[in-house]
Amino acid sequence: MLSYILRRIIMAVPILIGISILTFSVMHLAPGSPTSMLLAPDIGPEVRIAFEERYGLNDPIPVQYVKWMGAMIQGDMGYSLVRVGMPVSEMIMNRLPNTLILMGASTIIAIVISIPLGIISARRQYTVTDYSVTFGSFVGIATPNFWIGLLLIMWLSVNLGWFPSGGTHTLNEPFSILDRLHHLFLPALVLATADMAGLTRYSRSSMLEVIRQDYMRTARAKGFTENTVIYKHGLRNGLIPIITIFGLMLPSFFAGSVVVERIFAWPGIGDLLITSVFQRDYPVIMGITMISAVLVVLGNLLADIAYAIFDPRIEY
Amino acid sequence: MSVLLDVKNLQTHFISKKQTVKAVDGIDISIKKGETVALVGESGSGKSMTSLSIMQLVPSPGGEIVGGEVNFNGRDLLKLKEKEMRKVRGNEISMIFQEPMTSLNPVLTIGEQITEVLRYHKKMSKEQARRRAVELLKLVGFSRAEEMLKDYPHRLSGGMRQRVMIAMAMSCDPKLLIADEPTTALDVTIQAQILEFMKNLTHQFETAILLITHDLGVVSEVADHVVVMYAGQVVETSDVERLFDEPKHPYTQGLLNSIPAIEGEIERLQSIKGNVPLPDEMPAGCRFAPRCPKVFDKCLTSNPELIPQEQGRKVRCYLYEEGEDAV
Repeated sequence: MLSYILRRIIMAVPILIGISILTFSVMHLAPGSPTSMLLAPDIGPEVRIAFEERYGLNDPIPVQYVKWMGAMIQGDMGYSLVRVGMPVSEMIMNRLPNTLILMGASTIIAIVISIPLGIISARRQYTVTDYSVTFGSFVGIATPNFWIGLLLIMWLSVNLGWFPSGGTHTLNEPFSILDRLHHLFLPALVLATADMAGLTRYSRSSMLEVIRQDYMRTARAKGFTENTVIYKHGLRNGLIPIITIFGLMLPSFFAGSVVVERIFAWPGIGDLLITSVFQRDYPVIMGITMISAVLVVLGNLLADIAYAIFDPRIEY
Repeated sequence: MSVLLDVKNLQTHFISKKQTVKAVDGIDISIKKGETVALVGESGSGKSMTSLSIMQLVPSPGGEIVGGEVNFNGRDLLKLKEKEMRKVRGNEISMIFQEPMTSLNPVLTIGEQITEVLRYHKKMSKEQARRRAVELLKLVGFSRAEEMLKDYPHRLSGGMRQRVMIAMAMSCDPKLLIADEPTTALDVTIQAQILEFMKNLTHQFETAILLITHDLGVVSEVADHVVVMYAGQVVETSDVERLFDEPKHPYTQGLLNSIPAIEGEIERLQSIKGNVPLPDEMPAGCRFAPRCPKVFDKCLTSNPELIPQEQGRKVRCYLYEEGEDAV
């Protein structure tokens, strides 16, 4: 098992290098440069050249990449161009826990709602229940996150006043778990919706596949109740493909969190990313991209490990 | 010996908006305690549906038992509530299936799959169930039974899995074992071994077997009594010796003629022409008439009843009606 995990980690290295090269190149293609951001427009060319000389900005791009990568590995992501003197790593680390909390909560909501819905839908294939779940899923897939978010804010926050419309906690109040959860619920739900729809569909088809298997008939022939048959003999088999799907859904969680954090004024890295993009704060953008990439790769690694644990047929 | 299972006029239909398919159309089977009865027929004759109907595991929605009686040990199983029926399944009647490769759950250990039955029906403790499982695995010829409990099915060959299935099926000392083509998916040497284990175990525990098969070689080896099915109906019942000596129904004769003989002259193998009729194209008269070499006028207009013969044999054929000469 340990060697399997190690092998998977080693395999992740080239992926991350590829992503870093891509990010770095794209950033250099974009208009604007640190020089134009940091120096006053009326500065003389000799000052500009000296500035570029000093920060290595006139080095060839591959050299710049190696320097950037070298620092990155040591945890130094450089400094923000907008909030001058602020280390990027610190900016990200301040925000990352909020994003992880949001994504964690969404994941739980998505699992708790989608998988049971998928199972119910599969058990009652071609009934009104099944059709309703299917219809709901397609509505969920077709509706953009930001729109659901705005709608819920209008309805539940503004009109009914049940939930706060943004932020992670009530300002100027002592720390309270309930208050945090109260703030967390709406953004987490909205972030979950897009993937919930897909996850429900996948659970349904996975369980449909399983229900027809011979070993389910064997379990029934043992005299077990239908629930034992489904949950003990079926679910574990049905979950195996869903684990993979889950790993694949992580990137869309990140993409979704950018929008959701913005709408709910949730101070996470998604919100930071948008702000930085508008401000052309390249070091921050690159930092966030790399961190997200690492997290996605890590998530897939976890999915693969979980896969190997759930399915005894996988040799590692 | 007393009758253990007495199936009377069992009817299982598949009902859809377009049509009703009579998969099992009035089957009678009677099995005595400790007896082995073979249910024989081609694919599509309704053998497997008969066995699933006895267990009340007919795929639903779609399949439905619409009539008849399944008298088992003095009560009609069809009248039991689902909850009571669950106590029969896996406990008093157990089942093994055709496909050992897919009939075991791939993500549960062999030990778990055997002990769960014991714990559920016999309320055994974990330790008791484990010990019994080891015992059962040894009975089906596994010497390293203890270590096997932790193995997953994918590590076993087809024959080994079928032995595990037998151990599982025998775990609660069932009175009846339904074996649905238990050796079809296995190669010939393993077939003999599996049949041997089934014979020994059932003899030891006085378990009756309903053996579903299309392999007449298997029938001659293990069965006491044979029920031949064709297109959802019984066409002939007989004890095994007389059936092989003197098959009466032209279909049974056809089945026996299509077995290659090892001894004797090499001649062209006989086959029964045509196929089992599709349920929506059932002939008006005898269902076998379109394929029957001895068909005559009466066969085309009405379907014969099962006609009693000597020694308790029965045959569904007008050739054996009173006044007709046996062929």
